[in-house]
Order: sequence, then structure tokens, then C-alpha cells
Amino acid sequence: MAAGEIDVRLENVSKSFDRVEAVKDVSVDIPRGQFFSLLGPSGCGKTTTLRLVAGFEHPSAGAIYIRGAAVTRVPPYRRDYSMVFQNFALFPHLTMAENVAFGLRMRRVPGPERARRAREALAMVKLEGLAERYPRQLSGGQQQRVALARALVVQPAVLLLDEPLGALDKKLREEMQVELRELQHRLGTTTLFVTHDQEEALTMSDRIAIMRDGVIEQIGQPREVYERPRTEFVASFLGVSNFFDGRITAAANGSATVDLGFGQAVLSHRGTVGEAVRFAVRPEKVRLGQISTGGFAAQVREIVYRGVTTHIYLDCHGNEVIVFLQNASSDALAWRIGDAVAFSWERDSAVVLDRG
Amino acid sequence: MPSSSIAADGSPLGDLLRQLRSWSLVALPILFFLIFFAGPLLYLFVVSLLEPSQTELYGTNVTLQNYAKVLGDEFYLRIIQRTLLVGALVTGIALLIAYPVAMAIARMTPRWRIIAMIALMFPLMLSNVVRAYGWIAVLGRQGVVNTVLTQAEIIDAPLALLYSIEAVVLGLMTILLPYMIISIANSLTGLDRSYAEAAQSLGAGPLRTFIHVTWPLSSPGVAAGMQLVFFLTLSAYVTIALLGGPRFSLLVSMVYRSAMAFQWTFSAALAFVLLGVALGVGALIMLVLRPGRVQGRG
Repeated sequence: MAAGEIDVRLENVSKSFDRVEAVKDVSVDIPRGQFFSLLGPSGCGKTTTLRLVAGFEHPSAGAIYIRGAAVTRVPPYRRDYSMVFQNFALFPHLTMAENVAFGLRMRRVPGPERARRAREALAMVKLEGLAERYPRQLSGGQQQRVALARALVVQPAVLLLDEPLGALDKKLREEMQVELRELQHRLGTTTLFVTHDQEEALTMSDRIAIMRDGVIEQIGQPREVYERPRTEFVASFLGVSNFFDGRITAAANGSATVDLGFGQAVLSHRGTVGEAVRFAVRPEKVRLGQISTGGFAAQVREIVYRGVTTHIYLDCHGNEVIVFLQNASSDALAWRIGDAVAFSWERDSAVVLDRG
Repeated sequence: MPSSSIAADGSPLGDLLRQLRSWSLVALPILFFLIFFAGPLLYLFVVSLLEPSQTELYGTNVTLQNYAKVLGDEFYLRIIQRTLLVGALVTGIALLIAYPVAMAIARMTPRWRIIAMIALMFPLMLSNVVRAYGWIAVLGRQGVVNTVLTQAEIIDAPLALLYSIEAVVLGLMTILLPYMIISIANSLTGLDRSYAEAAQSLGAGPLRTFIHVTWPLSSPGVAAGMQLVFFLTLSAYVTIALLGGPRFSLLVSMVYRSAMAFQWTFSAALAFVLLGVALGVGALIMLVLRPGRVQGRG
């Protein structure tokens, strides 16, 4: 991809606070129009990374570019971005219209044009009727939309979102996810989104970076990072995984036979005989059948009905194995606690993890 | 309210009793306020509307002559003017000094902030009389400043630093400064930093962030600080008397002097003019700073 099309670039960026490294050697390229998420647990450095792009923190090492301009030493107010804050940070002394117009006013956009664009931005988030209200008079969801309108009205090179949906309740959050995604698609604004909610990241992103202890563990499209997690952390933070340990007993042509202690599994993996491997299998990829159908023998320990799916917990020689079954028919509900069952998976469903 | 039913829970009588009980908590303070503040104030106002008497405390005829004497006499108008000037200078200078200090305090860690606040309280524990004499020792004819300047042969004769409007303003300002700092610092400390960051992210530099966001959001603290300092300046009799000297008069000095001269009705009118100045300036501060807008009330 040509350099000109990269809207945000982080080059080997590190940030330390009092000798504690919050961000370690992070490099990221975000192409124009992409919705890019930084996902990780609290304290993983995702918010610090966002604040480095915003200019509220300065990197200890490395360089930051926005639309090709080196901004590493540029103050926040001279960088081409806008931001939606976790608590929205709407100015309490200004009306919604004044809040939205704030960025335009700072850019010295003349009054009539300012008013028109602010009105349009409020209409875009379907709040044109509340222009004269104050933040305190609005619900959380409304405040969230105004904050979004305030950020988008200045037509930034990059939109930064710091867990903007965290303060909303579940139902509203899911509505806003779809709305935000639609809006971003329509406007094509390059977006850097920070969240600790894996479902949110999967729903909204073109690309996700999973962070842990200041390091990006994996970057990829939602499907890629979900289906092919590279590390145990990614496999367990993004959704649920079953982990298995074994030793390679035979290897040839990109496949390896692994002894699990309770049976043999064949993996797509280039390994050497005697090598210890750990691999993950997603619960929804595990097939469950009568003992006669073949597979690893196990016993049903617990059954949890969840509406869309049923979660079945198996005991396989002391290992816990979770299976998600779609409630498409009543098959999933036929199992009983204590049943002897057999489970298996398609060869490509098993993902060998990096030894870390 | 019908209270004939038996006092069970939820009955009108029960409601009444509950209401009475909650009122009883504030009844004593309200009673105290009525007897010792509102009552006397009303009485004083009536006195200010009566004609003076040679033999009694006050006459019996209602008149506006006391107010006419204050507001129609150039001497008293000049005193009102000077009172406003001293109040404005003390409040204005205190604001200019206090705001940066308050900003620095708001940026401290909670531990250092508490230490700074306690340090600010210390001067308030000292009597104003003592502090006024302290200034006399510094500014007097044989005070520190004059002695040093004379010894260094920068001046031939001692400067008349004391008994001036500057001495009064300096004395009052230093006494009242902590009130201003503490109230602004409290306002700034409670301010979420994301407001300033939001302004910056929208293109506002430090100055415009201050003008458009920090200053208006700190207006409740600024208004409270300015009112405290201005009102306390109006009633700071001792400092004015000691540092201003016998010929320097503000409204409060005139109230005292006319009361000492047994001009009760005139003294009462002066007191109400003083109250009027306080209310007027207090309202003006609220009108200009509009601290209510921080709560989103326009």
C-alpha cells in the first residue's frame, strides 16, 4: 500500500511512566477509511496508545504520523484528528449546538457556515430537535451521539474513540455499535477505536490489534484473529477456547500426529517428532456424538441452556472441554448430565499456538 | 389537611406528624435566624426610616432624610466611591494572584494539595489586628522598608507608605487572598481533565482552552471567591482603621463613627447603603460570571 494512503502510522512507539513501560515497541499502519480497534484488558496499554496518537502523552521512543505528517512532537491542538471520550466530555456550560460547533469555532469557520454544519451534524445523529439543550438534560445515549457529532463535524483525518460505548447499558450499546458502524462506513472516516469488549471489537472493526502488557500480540481482520489466534492469550481473550497439550509422534507433509494422553489428534502443523505443542479448538467447532460415532470419549458434566446456544461442559480424563451447540433443533437439548459421549473436530479447526 | 382519622401509617395525620418531625430538625436554626438576624435587620431598617431625635434614640416620624443625606452629599458619595474602588482593587488583585496559584494547587497530587490547603489556612488563624500591626512595622516611618532604603541612601527622608489607599489594599488583599485561592482551587480540582483535552482535540490551544473551557467551568469558584473577598473587604473595619489612618474613611468607618456619635437613624441608613453595595456588587458578579451555566442552566 502506498504511504500516502496511510492515515495513522505508529513506528516502534514506546511509552514509559516512572520506569513502567505502558507501551512497548508498537508499530501499526491504519489505511484510509479503516475501522481499526485496539482490544485488550485494562492496563494493556491500549488507552495510552490512543492518547499518544491524540498527543496527550508523548512517546519515550518511536514516531507517530497522521496523514503522512510527523506529529510526534506536535501538540494535540495542531494534529488532524478528533476524539470521543469515554465520559463524552461534553462542555456542560454550552448547548448541544454550541458543543458541536466548538471545533468549527476553533478552526475559525465563519458563523453562518458554522451554524449550518453544526445543524447538519446534529441531524446526522438524529438529534436536530435538541440543539438548544444542555448536556445535563440529555440521556447517556443522546450525549454519546452529540459527542460523536462534535467529533465528526470537523471532518478529521482520524476519529479516535476511547471506549465511547462503555457508559451505556447493553441494549443501547448494541444499537450504537450498529449506528456507529453505519456512520463510519458512510463517511469513510479512518477510525481508531479502543475497547476491552471483544464482541464490540469483532462487530465493528475492519482490523483488530490485540494488546497485552503494552505489546501487540496479534493484528488481523476479526475473522482472522478469531479463527487463527496466534497465542493462548488471544485465543482466550477473544471468545472462548479449549486448550490441549500434546507431543508430536509423527510428522509429514505439513501435518503432525499428536499424542494427547487420552487419544491421538492430527493437526495441520509443520513440526518435528518429540516437539511439545499446545493448540486451541473453539467450542462451537467441537462436534458431539454418541460414543459409537468415534472421537475422544468424555462424560457430560454440566449443561447450560443459553437461548441461542446450549453450552455443554465435558470431562475428558480430567480435562474440561466446552462445546457450544446451536439450538437449531432439539438435538442439543437431548443430552443429559452423566451421558457418555464422543467429541471430535475438523482438522483445520485446531489452531497450534506459539509457545510463549 | 383533614386530620380526623386515626394516626396510622399513610393516614393524613401520620403524614402531618412525619412532616412536623422533619421540620423540627430545622426549626431551631430558623428560629435563631429569625430572632437574631431577620428581626434585628428589619428593626434596623425601620430605624433608618425614622427622623433623628435629640432626646430619644430616634423620632417617630417616617422620613427618607437619612438616605437623602447619604446619597445627596458629595462627601458620602466620595466615600461610597472609594469603598467600591478599594473593594474592586482588593478583589481584582486577589483574583489575578489567586488563579495561577489555584491552578498549581489543582495540579498537585492529593497529598500535596492537602498540605497546600492547610498552609493557606494558617494565616487565617492569626488576628487581623496583629497582621495590621505587622504591616505598620513594615511600612511605617521607622518601618523595615524605610529603614533599609534610608540606610542604603536610596532615599533621604522616609516615604509616607502608611495611611494610604495602597496600604489598605495591600493589607486587606494579603489577609483575604487565601479565601480566593481556596475557593478557586476547589473548583479547579473537581474539574475533569477530559474537558480541557476535549477542547484541545478540537483545535483549541492553551489560551483558547482557558478562555472557552477552564475559565467558564471554574466560574462557581471564582464567583464565590470574589464575593467572599469583596464582602469581607466591606466589613474589615480594623485593618482599614489601622492602615488607612484617622483620615481614611470607607463606608464601614462611617457606620462606626456615626453610631459612636449617637446618630442612630443616620448610622442605620449608612448600614443599609453598605448592604445595598454588597447586594449590588454580589449580583453583578453573578451576572457577569454566570456560575449557574456550569450546571447547564444558561
